[in-house]
Amino acid sequence: MSLNRRRTTNTIEVNFLAGWLVIVFLIGLCGLFFVYLKNQQHAVGNQSRQIEASIQEEEVRDEALKAKITSMTSRGALQRRLDEGYLTLEAIRDTAIARVTPPSPAEVDGVMRTASRDPENRFGPGVPQRAVNR
Amino acid sequence: MNSILGRIGIFCALLLRYLKATLGRIGMVCALLVLVFTCFAWRLIYLQVLRHDYFTEIAEEKHSIRLTIPARRGRILDRHGEELAVNIPVQMVYADGSHIHDPAAVAAVAAPFLEMPLQELKEKLTTKSKYVIIRKGVSEEKAQDMIRALDKANLHGLYLQEGSVRSYPNGEMLCDVLGYVDYTGHGADGIEKTYDTELRGQEGFRWIEHDRKGREIVVYRGQEQLPENGSDIRLSIDMGLQAIAEREVDEAYKTNHPASATAILADPNTGEILALASRPNYDPNKFNKAKPDEMRNRAISDIYEPGSVFKIVVTSAAYNEGIVDDETRIFCENGHFSYGGKTIKDHHGSGDLSIPEILMKSSNIGAAKISLLMKDQMFYDYVRKFGFGTRTGIPLPGEIPGQVIPPHRWDKLTKTRVAFGQSISVTPIQMVMAMSAIANGGKLLKPKLVLSKGEGSAVLPDAPVAQVVKPESANYIANALERVVSNQGTAPLARIEGYRVAGKTGTAQKISPHGGYLEGRYIVSFAGFFPVNKPKVMGIVIVDDAKLGESANYGGSVAGPVFSTIGSKAARYLDMDPEPDAFLVKEKQGASRTAVSAR
Repeated sequence: MSLNRRRTTNTIEVNFLAGWLVIVFLIGLCGLFFVYLKNQQHAVGNQSRQIEASIQEEEVRDEALKAKITSMTSRGALQRRLDEGYLTLEAIRDTAIARVTPPSPAEVDGVMRTASRDPENRFGPGVPQRAVNR
Repeated sequence: MNSILGRIGIFCALLLRYLKATLGRIGMVCALLVLVFTCFAWRLIYLQVLRHDYFTEIAEEKHSIRLTIPARRGRILDRHGEELAVNIPVQMVYADGSHIHDPAAVAAVAAPFLEMPLQELKEKLTTKSKYVIIRKGVSEEKAQDMIRALDKANLHGLYLQEGSVRSYPNGEMLCDVLGYVDYTGHGADGIEKTYDTELRGQEGFRWIEHDRKGREIVVYRGQEQLPENGSDIRLSIDMGLQAIAEREVDEAYKTNHPASATAILADPNTGEILALASRPNYDPNKFNKAKPDEMRNRAISDIYEPGSVFKIVVTSAAYNEGIVDDETRIFCENGHFSYGGKTIKDHHGSGDLSIPEILMKSSNIGAAKISLLMKDQMFYDYVRKFGFGTRTGIPLPGEIPGQVIPPHRWDKLTKTRVAFGQSISVTPIQMVMAMSAIANGGKLLKPKLVLSKGEGSAVLPDAPVAQVVKPESANYIANALERVVSNQGTAPLARIEGYRVAGKTGTAQKISPHGGYLEGRYIVSFAGFFPVNKPKVMGIVIVDDAKLGESANYGGSVAGPVFSTIGSKAARYLDMDPEPDAFLVKEKQGASRTAVSAR
């Protein structure tokens, strides 16, 4: 009677224990994987933060350079350079300018001129569609 | 207190004895453990459930911050896209005292980049405060160089905060129109003020959480709203014409030493302002150094008596009403006309003059007599219809309406004086729009300064138009004004080679602040347009109190040549076709430009 009792008490149920061990291992693995993912998330977050910062830095640098170009090519700056003699202006004599026939409005001859600064001469009111498509 | 503790002690002792008796020693230990863990569980429930909101709030306060993402201020461009106002990125340098262990060493490295005295910087850095502004407006390059130098020396505690400053690449040019942005980042004058909301845009934000070192934990990034950058404003100003106007006004200012000089160019067909220059002026990049007198936009906030330029109103009104016509001759009393107990004088006496001759010779008596042919209310209505006494609505702050005396307050002389531009105060922009009405067939336009707001936005629709006089009346006056620049007129020096010009001179005595007029001090002007048959450019030049002798200080001799120079350069710049008729006129009249003899 007592032997039976001892045997029962000391029995190690391997299957049962193994089952629990597997469950604990899996839970542990899940935990580690969760921590790994979390760390990855933080690492990627840091990377994206650094990339954002560098993009912003580049944008700022780009804007600063654009502003510098604008100030160096502004009328005031060019005038100063002109006064200092770094630049010169050459007058174009009237005889050196080839003037195309003074453009007449499209409604007069029905011809739409593409190279005229005066929009009225290109698209006069009542210009027939046929003329516009030429 | 002691009795309560004593009772608790007795209760615990009895409980232990009972447990020991009923459960035994093991049972008692188990019961204690259950009790302890029950306490822990209860504490957890208390913290995590019952006080959840409270502790969440505390945690958010500690770790979450609302990061503002600034919007970029919109640019101001001219009609061809030339940049007139831009942003320059700068950094604000601030110190976190808790990160600075050796202020002297940090100061020694940073001082050359910040251009600050070493001692001053060291004093600022000797702080425990977490946020001390060291210097604003440090250039991007210098700020980054400073951070690199500090990193190299393994020093910490100085940080950067991004910002920008407004820059006007052309300096003083067009300052009256552009205005400036004050220290708070708000437009304080000019277009910067009028369109501040559009230019400023809408700043964005982002809720972030940060770690102990202040670095953002991107995983916990919260709600985010991106900023809406400000819209670009495209003006009607043509910087090519503006440069021409600036140069000539500057020249006139230096040559004649007036109190001020102003020039405005506009398109008389659309009301678009093409150029606006005045002296004295200021550099909006250094607005804090400008004097109040330099910052006044004279084109819209200065009133003056226009003098003879105003004769276009009375003549066109009378012609429009049929009170005078082509055949009308006005007897000009040979230069002296006694009326209302006073004498109205002409510079040169004349007999019978037609309407064009009255304008050509600038006869005060002729203009006064025409006004006497009109009813008071009718004349007043025309003055108001031409836009005088009302703000034009130009989108610039500080415009004033001028002063027009209503008929019920007129004395016997008022009407005759208003007819030749006295007893009335106008602004230069009002005069431009009134003269434009003569140039464009009688339509009074609202001055247009902004073509579009925002990239890709449609050009804003034209301002409402009021028909002031019939087109034939306007054309009649326009043709009459062409004679003003003939050799017989008051402004032959205002002619432009190769183009038919119409215009009118004005020479008005300056009003004394103590009443009456200042002897020998004049505001002279010339307002005109060209080509006469198809006007493309309308301009006005006003020179206030030129330091010239009285005999030389006339609209035709001071303002007229400035108009001529601006006009001829503008015609070349705009590639306007010369008019053959204009050369014929010149040949007939001869090339000589004699001194002006009439006002």
